[in-house]
Amino acid sequence: MEFSGAVDIPATRDRVFAFVTDPEEVGACGPGVESIEVIDATHFRAKAKVGVGFIQARFVVDLEIAEQQAPDMAVIKAHGQAPGSAVDAVGRMTLVDGPEPGTTTMQWSAEVSLSGMLASVGARMVEGTANKMIGQTFDCVRAKIAAEG
Amino acid sequence: MTTELEPRTSAAIGGMGHSVKRKEDPRFIRGAGEYIEDVVLPGMLWMDIVRSPYAHATIKSIDASEALKVPGVLAVITGADLEKAGLHWMPTLAGDKQMVLPTTTVMYQAQEVAAVVATDRYAAADGVAAVYVDYEPLPVIVDPKKALEPGAFVLRPDRGPDKANNHIWHWESGDRAAADAALASAEVRVSEDIYIPRIHVASIETCGCVADWDAVRGQLTLHMTSQAPHAIRTVLALVSGLPEQNIRVKTHDIGGGFGGKVPVYPGYVLAVVASLTVGKPVKWIEDRSENLQADSFARDYHIHAEMSATKAGKITGLKVKTIADHGYSDAAADPSKFPAGLFNVITGSYDFPDAFVEVDGVYTNKPPGGVAYRCSFRVTEAVHAIERMVDILAHEIGVDPAQLRMENFIQPEQFPYRTPTGWEYDSGNYGVALQKAMDLIGYDDLRKEQAEKRARGELMGIGISSFTEIVGAGPSKDFDIIGIKMFDSCEIRVHPTGKVIARIGVQSQGQGHETTFAQIIAEELGFPVGDVKIEYGDTDTAPYGLGTYASRSTPVAGAATAMASRKIREKARQIAAHLLECSPDDLEWEPGKFTVKGSPDRFKTIQEISFAAYTNHPVGMEAGLEAVDYYDPPNLTFPFGSYICVVDIDKGTGQVKIRRFVAVDDCGNIINPMIVDGQIHGGLTMGFAPALLESITYDELGNNQAGTFMDYLLPTAVETPRWELDKTVTPSPHHPIGAKGVGESATVGAPPAIANAVVDALWHLGVRNIDIPMTPQKVWAILHEKGLA
Repeated sequence: MEFSGAVDIPATRDRVFAFVTDPEEVGACGPGVESIEVIDATHFRAKAKVGVGFIQARFVVDLEIAEQQAPDMAVIKAHGQAPGSAVDAVGRMTLVDGPEPGTTTMQWSAEVSLSGMLASVGARMVEGTANKMIGQTFDCVRAKIAAEG
Repeated sequence: MTTELEPRTSAAIGGMGHSVKRKEDPRFIRGAGEYIEDVVLPGMLWMDIVRSPYAHATIKSIDASEALKVPGVLAVITGADLEKAGLHWMPTLAGDKQMVLPTTTVMYQAQEVAAVVATDRYAAADGVAAVYVDYEPLPVIVDPKKALEPGAFVLRPDRGPDKANNHIWHWESGDRAAADAALASAEVRVSEDIYIPRIHVASIETCGCVADWDAVRGQLTLHMTSQAPHAIRTVLALVSGLPEQNIRVKTHDIGGGFGGKVPVYPGYVLAVVASLTVGKPVKWIEDRSENLQADSFARDYHIHAEMSATKAGKITGLKVKTIADHGYSDAAADPSKFPAGLFNVITGSYDFPDAFVEVDGVYTNKPPGGVAYRCSFRVTEAVHAIERMVDILAHEIGVDPAQLRMENFIQPEQFPYRTPTGWEYDSGNYGVALQKAMDLIGYDDLRKEQAEKRARGELMGIGISSFTEIVGAGPSKDFDIIGIKMFDSCEIRVHPTGKVIARIGVQSQGQGHETTFAQIIAEELGFPVGDVKIEYGDTDTAPYGLGTYASRSTPVAGAATAMASRKIREKARQIAAHLLECSPDDLEWEPGKFTVKGSPDRFKTIQEISFAAYTNHPVGMEAGLEAVDYYDPPNLTFPFGSYICVVDIDKGTGQVKIRRFVAVDDCGNIINPMIVDGQIHGGLTMGFAPALLESITYDELGNNQAGTFMDYLLPTAVETPRWELDKTVTPSPHHPIGAKGVGESATVGAPPAIANAVVDALWHLGVRNIDIPMTPQKVWAILHEKGLA
């Protein structure tokens, strides 16, 4: 599955970059995230509960910031497993100046491979659920940064 | 001959031709059946299975430490544990091998990876969730054509360097040169690619077992859902090294088999290993998604067919090339000599001078299998292809499909008929069956109505399927599974009071064996059907047999039952002569008694003879009245029928509505007309389902896209059309009671009738073929492309 989009955030590029590469901050915006463990500067482990339709799974996801050029771009790789299900993903983010001074546009794309029970049993709902979760994540990122002023 | 069989016995006896109510139904309708889930033994433990999320991946490690901390979890079994005992691979019935548990690599999504044994089902499930398997995903091959491309990675390196490809086997039948010549010189040639998708038997009862190892007695009892318990016992003995007399396989009531309960699944083996390990009974029951994702599938044939004919419509030749997708292991349950089953029955009901068919088996990252889903070994695929091709030819040359069939049928006087692919059809009368179906449905009027509707822009189609089945495997010279010949058996014991118990080598999964086999004995010996008890499915007591699939129960074990009855009748004649003080040659038999010729008052009933067998038998004769027969059929049997389907297609939604469906079946002499009708109703519904609703597809990562009944669409009574049945009766000349088998005819015959009707409705728009299932989405897309929707 491939997803992409762009979102405007009312903050500078430096601020947005710092936020989205800080696992503690961005992790709290991931839907269902229960804990974030920082292993080193570029490796994190998240535990998250994900529901697709009537199926729920608790994923353990290993995340790696595979590439980064602050404050312009980053590539994050993820490998997660839950009982009977697995997810492998690569996310790319590019930050450019936003439409208003002091704002930033985040252009993002993600390739997500979902395997196992969730992909099989939830096949018809996976894409919709993923879109909803991505939307929730960005709403949260924008709201948190905006709240900081 | 096409005649109705009048019952020879009275209704009180209830022999062949009587619609005796099913003896098994009172327990089923009162909820008193005993299915595998109902088996509860003292101290019984539960097993649940960890399954792979990936269709292809390396297992880097398995960490069971958290699982073993779950309260109630007693053991976690991995491939490494099995490897120590050499049990990590097992043979398949097709002569390939498959993993019980993987040691390095998983080959399909939902493959078994580890087993958790616990004190109850919930603890076992919690344990499964706590096993952490570290996988490294590998590339996946879903498409069998890609699996055959040069450079494709090799799925099964275990086969050695000589087989460094994904090609399993090549099988061919018929005369290639003759078929090529027929095609080359043809006035008309038609060709088509036809895909028969992967489907699942989806029995309401999933698979399961209770393995019970008694270490003190050295006895293993395996309660299981199996269509072939004796073969399972032998395989278990060979694989485990346990003495075969110390292994008892016991089936119970089975909630649907349809071919899916023939194979040996890893879960059965794991439960046995678990019971041997912990020394207690271990139960394993699949859930619905496990059943749909991991059990043997059916079909999955990519067929390319070419057919030649004269301009006038006389068929001259057929050439078929097929790719069979077997998943990662060939775990089909086909007879050894027939890796593509009986697919070469593809010349069907037609008098083909020449034909050639070849099939190549291929590995992909999908579950193993290739079971005969309510069809005798790939006959559904063959019948669909030939019936579609005949329709395409008819439309191509502008001849009515019914007329084209009539002009190309094998004629009654040609039987026994040898096909160009080597089968000898026993009997048939195809034209009569088709004409009966046409008369019943009002074929000519429907064609007029169709023309009128087409002029108004409405979409109506009429489809015919005049199929020939091939069942009753089979003669020992050609048919075996893992070396065991495909005979079948019956043992009959008559008690002193004239009551009977008979045990058979086949296994009921709902077909009504307890009734129909009692009727065969009633027919042959005259005992009232209520006095005859039928047992099966306990390998300690029943005679050896290869089980129930491929419509073989009546053709093989039914014949054994008749033959065993006749042995008893011969002994009964001797006893009657002794009692009546006459020569055995002076006695006349009618069902239930021997009478002295010319003296109607001097007779002995079978009940009197039964009593005498134990109380007053002749000097020099063994006491008792029992017999056993192992029947080796001289040939297969060839049921047939003609189905006609009328559809209306909604232009707005693409929905195909079956307006009428007439099924004329001929299964030879009928034992119980009510049960035969029931078999046909069920079979038609199971043919309608893949035609319009069911298929298992995979995404590019090899994820099964039909893992629940929300996505694998089974028909309910709401969707199912009303079936209109009729029959002709053409007995099998070589079968002791002239019967042919019927369990699968309708599943085999129905899909092409429906498919032909849909294409018939759309042919004028330039539509030549639509692969099943013909879902509203698929039909709507075609209508949209043609500017109609």
